[in-house]
Amino acid sequence: MFGYIVHRLLVMIPTLLAISLIVFIIIQLPPGDYLSTYMAELQAQGEAVDPQKLAYLREMYGLDRPEWQQYLYWVWGLLHGDMGYSFAYNLPVTQVVGDRLWLTFIVSITTILFTWIVAFPIGIYSATHQYSWSDYGLTFLGFVGLATPNFLLALVMLYFANTWFGISIGGLMDDRFIGAPWSLAKFGSVLAHLWIPVIVIGTSGTAGMIRRLRANLLDELQKQYVVTARAKGLSPFKTLMKYPLRMSLNPFIADIGTLLPHVISGSAIVSVVLSLPTTGPMLLDALRAQDMYLAGSFLMCMSLLTVVGVFLSDLALAALDPRIRLGAGSSK
Amino acid sequence: MRRLLAILALLLVGAQAHALTYIETPSLAADVAAGKLPPIAERVPTDPAIEEGRPGQPGGEMRVLIGSPRDTRLMAIIGYARLMAYTPSYDLVPDMLESVDQKEQRIFTLHLRPGHRWSDGQPFTAEDFRYWWEDVANNQLLSPTGPPVALLRQGEKPKVEILDPLTIRYSWSEAMPTFLQMLASPTPITIYRPAHYLKQFHVKYADKAKLAALIADSHTRNWAQLHNRMDNPIRNDNPDLPTLDPWMLTTRPPSERFLFVRNPYYYRVDREGRQLPYIDRVNAAVADSKIIPVKVGAGEADLQSRYLRFDNYTFLKAGEARNNYRVRLWKTGYGSQLALYPNLNVADPVWRTLLRDVRFRRALSLSIDRHELNNVIYYGLALEGQNTMLPDSPLYDEKNREAWAQYDPAQAKRLLDEIGLTKRNSEGIRLLPDGRPLQIVVETAGAVAEEGDVLELIRDTWREVGIKLFAKPLQIELMHNRIFSGETMMAIDRGLQNGLANAEMSPAALAPVQQEDWQWPRWGQYYETHGMSGETPDMPMGIELMNLEHDWMNATDFEARRSIWQRMLAIHADRVLTIGLCAEVPQPVVVSDQLRNVPEQGIYNFDPGAFFGVYKPDRFWFVPEAPADQPS
Repeated sequence: MFGYIVHRLLVMIPTLLAISLIVFIIIQLPPGDYLSTYMAELQAQGEAVDPQKLAYLREMYGLDRPEWQQYLYWVWGLLHGDMGYSFAYNLPVTQVVGDRLWLTFIVSITTILFTWIVAFPIGIYSATHQYSWSDYGLTFLGFVGLATPNFLLALVMLYFANTWFGISIGGLMDDRFIGAPWSLAKFGSVLAHLWIPVIVIGTSGTAGMIRRLRANLLDELQKQYVVTARAKGLSPFKTLMKYPLRMSLNPFIADIGTLLPHVISGSAIVSVVLSLPTTGPMLLDALRAQDMYLAGSFLMCMSLLTVVGVFLSDLALAALDPRIRLGAGSSK
Repeated sequence: MRRLLAILALLLVGAQAHALTYIETPSLAADVAAGKLPPIAERVPTDPAIEEGRPGQPGGEMRVLIGSPRDTRLMAIIGYARLMAYTPSYDLVPDMLESVDQKEQRIFTLHLRPGHRWSDGQPFTAEDFRYWWEDVANNQLLSPTGPPVALLRQGEKPKVEILDPLTIRYSWSEAMPTFLQMLASPTPITIYRPAHYLKQFHVKYADKAKLAALIADSHTRNWAQLHNRMDNPIRNDNPDLPTLDPWMLTTRPPSERFLFVRNPYYYRVDREGRQLPYIDRVNAAVADSKIIPVKVGAGEADLQSRYLRFDNYTFLKAGEARNNYRVRLWKTGYGSQLALYPNLNVADPVWRTLLRDVRFRRALSLSIDRHELNNVIYYGLALEGQNTMLPDSPLYDEKNREAWAQYDPAQAKRLLDEIGLTKRNSEGIRLLPDGRPLQIVVETAGAVAEEGDVLELIRDTWREVGIKLFAKPLQIELMHNRIFSGETMMAIDRGLQNGLANAEMSPAALAPVQQEDWQWPRWGQYYETHGMSGETPDMPMGIELMNLEHDWMNATDFEARRSIWQRMLAIHADRVLTIGLCAEVPQPVVVSDQLRNVPEQGIYNFDPGAFFGVYKPDRFWFVPEAPADQPS
């Protein structure tokens, strides 16, 4: 087991290096650079730009250097924990990300909890009451939730909340708390604003999870050990909780790998629509504006989280499920 | 003797100013009472600029929406506190300067207002000008390319003299008629800097150890990078940088909301002695540019124009009554909202010959039904015609706007036949001399629906005279690169940036001196790179325009400048160098019912105009309770 962990950890290094190269190349693929994008944006709003000034800025930002040099400069900085400099914000990347990261964590974790709390009971209920009217009803709701694009739901809520209730959705806290240090009042304000994005973002996830849980559980409920347990007189609730439910959880644990990066980057489009101060819109903007160090460093963080997440979920699976044993097959 | 008169005049003006009894701003009264701020009489210059319009009431917070944190720069544009400034009728007058003397348009003596202070209370003096010229613009590390090119007259640097603490002189050996205009630009060449603040970042003045610590703290590579980051009055993203603007930034980026607070040392007062700006705070919230129209429609802005487009008009109008605002339609200043640019430098030799044939360009223009475009896309509210000056410009000539701009397919067909494009293929499309069908690919930048709609309508009328049009949307950088390299046949883009020019403004946009003019990108490149790349203009028309621009710079009197402008405009109209479509497409401006002094009818333009800048937003004010039916 120890050898396995070390092996997995060592493999991460070339993986991350390869990812960094791919990330850098993809960001550089579109024609032009940050400054030409910036210039185009200003011109689209009717402003003029001095080309001489651009040449100077290009030199200052090091955009005139060959790309391999830019790449090495960036990777070298990353190795030292320096995430680089954001052109668009005129600030070091770490400062740009700052507060947004915490708000993103809050939104994402609340959404995941919301998803689980709603999806588990419904999933279990519709699996144990398969093909009943209530199963059909919940299934229908689930499919509607799955099929509605998140951003559309967000727009619809934005519109009706304004015309019916006169409130404005958007943002994560009252105006007066923006930029203020964290306090109990600020936290309360965040909670009050949180439910709308959580519902909007969580809907499709909830629907998806209901369907998966129901399918997994149905597989298990047919198996003989369940029949045996029932025949032996175990209470239905205990039967369900003790065996089939646990078995059907495997896919969720395997999901942790993708869950971690989702926590910091998820739901970018919805966040844009609801103008949430999270990291998703920032990443989107950085990619559109070719703000390469901001986008690159952020994508690297996500890759790191994905790699670590997959590793952790593999370990958790091995620990939780006695049927998965390392080396059992290959030792033959 | 002149000097004496000047002093006398100064004393008189000073006496007049002192006749004003200043009224303390209510929101600052507490700070003054507590001794944190000096009283108003000591904060404004001894000779403040006086706003002659009807006085308003101080107070209130103005909400605006911005598309990204970078838009903090807009406040520096809209605030429009400049050494020289344009009035709403585009006369150039001293603004922060008390006065300016010019001799032969080459020696400019700038006089500052005595007692004018930066937003931190430090005096604004000639030292600030000296610091910029000697220690910033001419510092190898801070400005590797030297002083801004716009300040050079054929490579010659100006002579900058500090005559006394309130007087600065810029002089060149030849006429420099564009100098004062540059000071009035929305993004001006700021020829002064808050020296007392910036010296702490300058290697020449700063304490070595302190500077090293500052560099390390800010993760910059060297002092020059640190200095440049701290010193960006146009970008306006450093809350510590003292300013002369009406509102100063108080939020340190990054943030989702930026608060601008009144500058207690602002140099303008109203005629009753209240210090401007009237509005205490400007609250700029960041929202995605695509949902800004929705938020504005929900009443989340008190004054908004940015990111609103004409096609949002009906939506915004629907929310008016519910959310207590009015949508006003301002005229825009483009020579043409959209114009077609036939590329005279296209690489394909057959197309190059054809596009350079004036008859062909005229035929293209004659076979566009501008009236239909106007009615279908702009509800008939736009002005049809060529890409030239607008009726509000003193250089406007109706002949130029109407030249070859009527819809006349019969004449277009005659012209095309005359060129020899008589053979047609089975579809009825005319054939080029080498047998290829006459298919024009018009390249557009990106996803703006307006351009696609316009081309769709032009396609139908061109089809009638035997020309096929294809629209090709491209990513904007890709389009620029294709134009620069001569691959693009024709592009569609905004028309002349300034359709409101007068004869005192530079006519450079009409001459082949810029790579960004899509009709002659390679000629412009030739000029900009001093012949290193591009092509030398090889058509008599191009050479003449180039010479006219040169003559304008050397012309000494107004009449000569005006006739040069008129000649250049006439060449453009007659030779159809760009094909204009519709102009004066309205810009929606959303104004809260409580906000006063925003003009009902205005012109929305960047340079000159600075968007709201010429209307001096420091005099906009809020009425506490809104009588909704009463116009301001």
